[in-house]
Amino acid sequence: MMKKKLLAVLAAAGMTALALSGCGSSGSGATLKVYNAGEYIDTSLLTKFEKEYDCDVVYETFDSNESMYTKILSGESYDVLIPSDYMIERLIKEDYLQKIDWDKVPNSVNLNADIMGQDFDPDNEYSVPYFYGTVGILYDTTVVDEADLADGWELLRNTKYAGDIYMYDSERDSFMIALKALGYSMNTDNTDEIDEAYEWLIEQRDLMSPIYAGDDVIDNMVSGNKSIAIVYSGDAAYIMSENEDLAYFQPEEGTNEWFDCMVIMKDSEQVDLAHEFINFMLDVDNATANTAEVGYTSPVTEAYETMISEDYAGISSYTPDMTNPLDECFRYQTSEIKQYFADLWTKVKAY
Amino acid sequence: MKYYVKMVRPYMVWSFLMVVIPMVLIAIYSVTTGGNTLVNIQFTLENFAKFAEPIYVQVFIKSLRIGLITVGICLVLGYLLAYQICRFEERIQSSLILLVTIPMWINTLLRTYAWISILSDNGIINTFLQALGLEPVTMMYTNFAVIIGMVSDFLPFMVIPIHTSLSKIDKSLIEAAEDLGATPFQTFTKVIFKLSIPGVLNGVIVTFLLSISTFVIPKLLGGGQYTLIGNLIENQFISVGNWNFGSALSLILTVVILAAITLMRKLDQEEKEEEL
Repeated sequence: MMKKKLLAVLAAAGMTALALSGCGSSGSGATLKVYNAGEYIDTSLLTKFEKEYDCDVVYETFDSNESMYTKILSGESYDVLIPSDYMIERLIKEDYLQKIDWDKVPNSVNLNADIMGQDFDPDNEYSVPYFYGTVGILYDTTVVDEADLADGWELLRNTKYAGDIYMYDSERDSFMIALKALGYSMNTDNTDEIDEAYEWLIEQRDLMSPIYAGDDVIDNMVSGNKSIAIVYSGDAAYIMSENEDLAYFQPEEGTNEWFDCMVIMKDSEQVDLAHEFINFMLDVDNATANTAEVGYTSPVTEAYETMISEDYAGISSYTPDMTNPLDECFRYQTSEIKQYFADLWTKVKAY
Repeated sequence: MKYYVKMVRPYMVWSFLMVVIPMVLIAIYSVTTGGNTLVNIQFTLENFAKFAEPIYVQVFIKSLRIGLITVGICLVLGYLLAYQICRFEERIQSSLILLVTIPMWINTLLRTYAWISILSDNGIINTFLQALGLEPVTMMYTNFAVIIGMVSDFLPFMVIPIHTSLSKIDKSLIEAAEDLGATPFQTFTKVIFKLSIPGVLNGVIVTFLLSISTFVIPKLLGGGQYTLIGNLIENQFISVGNWNFGSALSLILTVVILAAITLMRKLDQEEKEEEL
């Protein structure tokens, strides 16, 4: 009896070992590890890449730049990451990234030159644009009075819409809204201004009882559960293409202009394959499929033009307004300020 | 016999690696500052002092309250269910218990998502209400949604130990109580319930432990602003990156759970001594 059990255990252990060693892998056996935000790619492109380059792609997703950073910090290693601007600046400063060899990315000719060379990486030494856009308010035109939009971000504290609001469960975006509503820079390191923004958010919780939603805001807004939501322009484009009652609006006080880029980690063992992947994502057909699927604005000019005349024709948030001088891009924060924000954010959520 | 003692050793090593070392690390993190790498640490009690801020104490109280409500509902429902199951033939009983455990074969995440589609503003219940011409009810992102999710998730952990206790009761004791003129109510309170107390305590301990430390269910059914102690800990580790404060919170939670379990075990002991 004992022996039989032991055999069973050994067999089970053997099978696990086989499964872990990846006996299903094909061809060259090269494995590319990609770490991206959730719901942020046309996954069929991954299969296509695996076939074309005879390799395996291990694709993992994160729910915020902060959780991605924590994972990197704990020693996890990937080949290609797709974080946002301010996080790329932090990763560059902390020496986690390697320079892009642009000669290995011939499809870079497809990129829209206007959105290159942002402050977080002025010469695009480390980052290749993936998607870009803004943060704004998505609202139900059948419920929200157009005249109330003049209040800008204060619309989010208009008690007429109490209990009818989704905020975004993200530290930097929530503080951005409060700081902009108060007329401050969202990159401030003045603790008095940050405290004031904290009070703004706490008051908002009292007045409006908002829901701090994550990616579930997409489904909720498509089915029209609430009439106001804070969303990224790309999510807005996707949601508006599914629910025509909705419109997207960027307050005059300014908002966050963001750029998500592909970067290669310093300790990547598949540097060539990583470059191939980046090049693959910039191919016109692939970029078109990707932007059509997720709704975010493509930095690949041809894909962008196809979208504004076809899939996302007439959807304002696909062509976000990036001209307001009050708009800003998130910048690197010192760890003291980062910790200060994080503590206050924990309190806002726990309130 | 000695042979088997030796066979236990790998397990001892395993549990030392997987249980003791992480616990020690949590303890070290909780009393230090200086980042997550443990390279330049300094001892401090700051992390525990931080917990004393009213906002965190409130989170703790809320978690305790939600946890106790969940345990209470599980106890009533679980006891009724276990009691009903015990009245069947033994063969049928085992298949009924199997039915109780079947939901546990499905991942918690999936079961919680199922609740989202049932409770959401345009979900199954509200579609049904609207079809009947009634006003829709908002259920998602409320205490109600979180508690219903936790109760449905943890109920099997209450039913099984209570059923085990109940099925071990000697039927002749019940007959004796009835022969001696006890009413059905007296038979239940003085004989059946008393004899099932070990199972009840086990069920209460397990469900309390699960419901006070959960973070997936409140996050999905309560939304990002619904913070229980489990969510607070998760945030410190995953998004804030303050492992020191997160460890201090975990340690405080562990001590509270340990105290609660000790208290309940003590009650059980006193109960047994009374019988003697």
